[in-house]
Amino acid sequence: MSPDAVLRLDRPAVLSARGVKKSFRVGDRELEVLHGVDFTLQPGEILALTGPSGAGKSTLLHILGLLDRPTSGTVTLDGESAWELSGEDRARLRNRKIGFVFQFYHLISELTALENVLLPAMVGESAGEFRANRERHENAARKMLDDFGLTERLAHRPAQLSGGERQRVALARALLYDPPIVIADEPTGNLDRATGERVLELLFREQAARRFSLLFVTHDERLAERCERRVVMVDGVVHPYAVA
Amino acid sequence: MFRSFLSWRYLLHRRTNLIGIVGVLLGVGALILILSIMTGFLEQTRASVRGTLADFFVRPAPLLAAPDPEGLGVPPEPDEVLRIVRSIDGVRAATPQYTWYGMLAPGGADTANATEILSRPLDSQQNAIELVGIDVASEFETTGFDDALRLTPTRGFRVADPDAPFARPPGYRPDGLEKPRIVLGDALYGRLRVQRGDELTFLTVVFDPESKTLVGSNKTFIVAGSFRTKDNEVDARRAYVEREVLADFLRNDARYTDVLVMLADYDQDAPRVRDELRAKLLDAKLIDGQPAEIISWEDMRAVLLGAIRNERVLMAIMLSLILVVACFSIFAILSMMVTEKRRDIGVLTALGATPRGVMQLFLMIAFWDALVGAVIGAILGTWMAIKIDPLEQWLSKTFGVQIFDRTIYYFDEIPSVVEPLWVAVIVLGAFACALVFAAIPAWRAARMDPLEALRYE
Repeated sequence: MSPDAVLRLDRPAVLSARGVKKSFRVGDRELEVLHGVDFTLQPGEILALTGPSGAGKSTLLHILGLLDRPTSGTVTLDGESAWELSGEDRARLRNRKIGFVFQFYHLISELTALENVLLPAMVGESAGEFRANRERHENAARKMLDDFGLTERLAHRPAQLSGGERQRVALARALLYDPPIVIADEPTGNLDRATGERVLELLFREQAARRFSLLFVTHDERLAERCERRVVMVDGVVHPYAVA
Repeated sequence: MFRSFLSWRYLLHRRTNLIGIVGVLLGVGALILILSIMTGFLEQTRASVRGTLADFFVRPAPLLAAPDPEGLGVPPEPDEVLRIVRSIDGVRAATPQYTWYGMLAPGGADTANATEILSRPLDSQQNAIELVGIDVASEFETTGFDDALRLTPTRGFRVADPDAPFARPPGYRPDGLEKPRIVLGDALYGRLRVQRGDELTFLTVVFDPESKTLVGSNKTFIVAGSFRTKDNEVDARRAYVEREVLADFLRNDARYTDVLVMLADYDQDAPRVRDELRAKLLDAKLIDGQPAEIISWEDMRAVLLGAIRNERVLMAIMLSLILVVACFSIFAILSMMVTEKRRDIGVLTALGATPRGVMQLFLMIAFWDALVGAVIGAILGTWMAIKIDPLEQWLSKTFGVQIFDRTIYYFDEIPSVVEPLWVAVIVLGAFACALVFAAIPAWRAARMDPLEALRYE
């Protein structure tokens, strides 16, 4: 953790969760995975969420990413209580405010690298809006892919790209709308160490330039060490990280 | 925006989608082609049938009743009926006819050998005909008989002068008493193996007022030539003579059996003219008022036309099954696709797509299937329907198999009428069918849990 990292509690959180519980029905009994989680992500903050497998990290990440509804509790994104919004509004919020980077890249195999990067704009905009903004989006996408060393790969499909290249395309996709939050779920989990390192460098570099809040969900201690703040999830509860 | 773009990409990158497209294409194309041919067949048959018939037939019941010792009760000549018919607004022309049934036998046959002919079932069946006595001038004005005389025969031989069909045929030199002329249907002419100038004897039974019994009678005619209506039934079973000749021969009280009426605009005026005819003829006590006394040409051929209409409906139903099968394949392909693309569904949801958007994405794939299939199918089907005749000839020539036997149908070419409304209905039907079948997998995609999808690798 960098020595000058401090909790910026004086500023409103860009993403927060209060008393979030989540339970699943397994057979005829309820299994509670999250037991009232409180969580805050400050603007521009780099936060690592670590913890052992099965602690509920992924469940929390999906709830924070507005992909899964908590059984109880609230999730507030940019001042809006996300689960009180309509499905349409919540989808729009997710589209504009959150960029996802997945462990398995999750690119659409039928689209080129450039088209994959443009996908958030295609999803979030009507045909008319997209046509009007297309040049701007394409320029932004091309510039990012240039910056990420993929100039020659714009027209390649995911199957023609290496793992590192795919993850860089996925990163560019997450950043197309310049979202205030990027959620990265084990972004280097599927890459060799050197490739993973290059992807992380890009991610940190972009974060420094764009100042988005970056939430890592990771098992990687070295990555967690590099984050400004770190929280640990144990048995469905989030704790501040404390060195043993 | 992603829905149309991504669905198109999915369509192009997955070759199995071609099955759906080709299925829709075949269904739409076949439906348009077959329905166009059936419609053409129906219209051609209507035109052919109508050509020798008139719009209405007036058949005064008293004329057809069993011989009445006290006379007919109506004038034996058609003049009064004709006068009334022609006075009705909307009637273009009218003509009397005298229709009688009997057999035709080669020249020289007499009453004695009628028994012989009758005892041979095959011959009697083949030679049984409808002999129609006409007044040439008014017949030409009323029915399509003059056209039938001019149409190129397939098995017969045209009369020497179509304007005077019962004139003496070239080369006929009366030996003693001049015999009246007969004009045979094209197929009948071929079947009897006669030539212009040959003698033919008409054998029938007539009522003998003296003995008050039915007695055999015959009359010899000279073959003047043939006519061709393209209506198989008529061309095979009918012969024309002059009405006066037939009436004189039969010696019945009545000198006509029908008055044929042609309207200026049948489609518009038919019901009104029928009502007026009935009312005025009843007033004049020329008919009894039975429904069968005034019938239209459609009533006359109701069975034939109804059968073709039924066949058209049946063909449409059967061919629609191709479309249904095509839509089933779209359903199956989309169902597989939804399972395969669950990860994409999760990604799209993470990127901000709503369940409705996901559903529309998969519906769009079916939409493209239907669009590409239906448009190409409609173009191909219409083109084939228009070019069916050269196509059939090419196929027949190439494969050496006669697909359309022109001698059976009496059409010179395969009839085909492309109705734009039908084409539109078929194309829209294909769309509706494809979308209905696609709705189930699309709905399943929309309900898919994005988290499940994202975990899947």
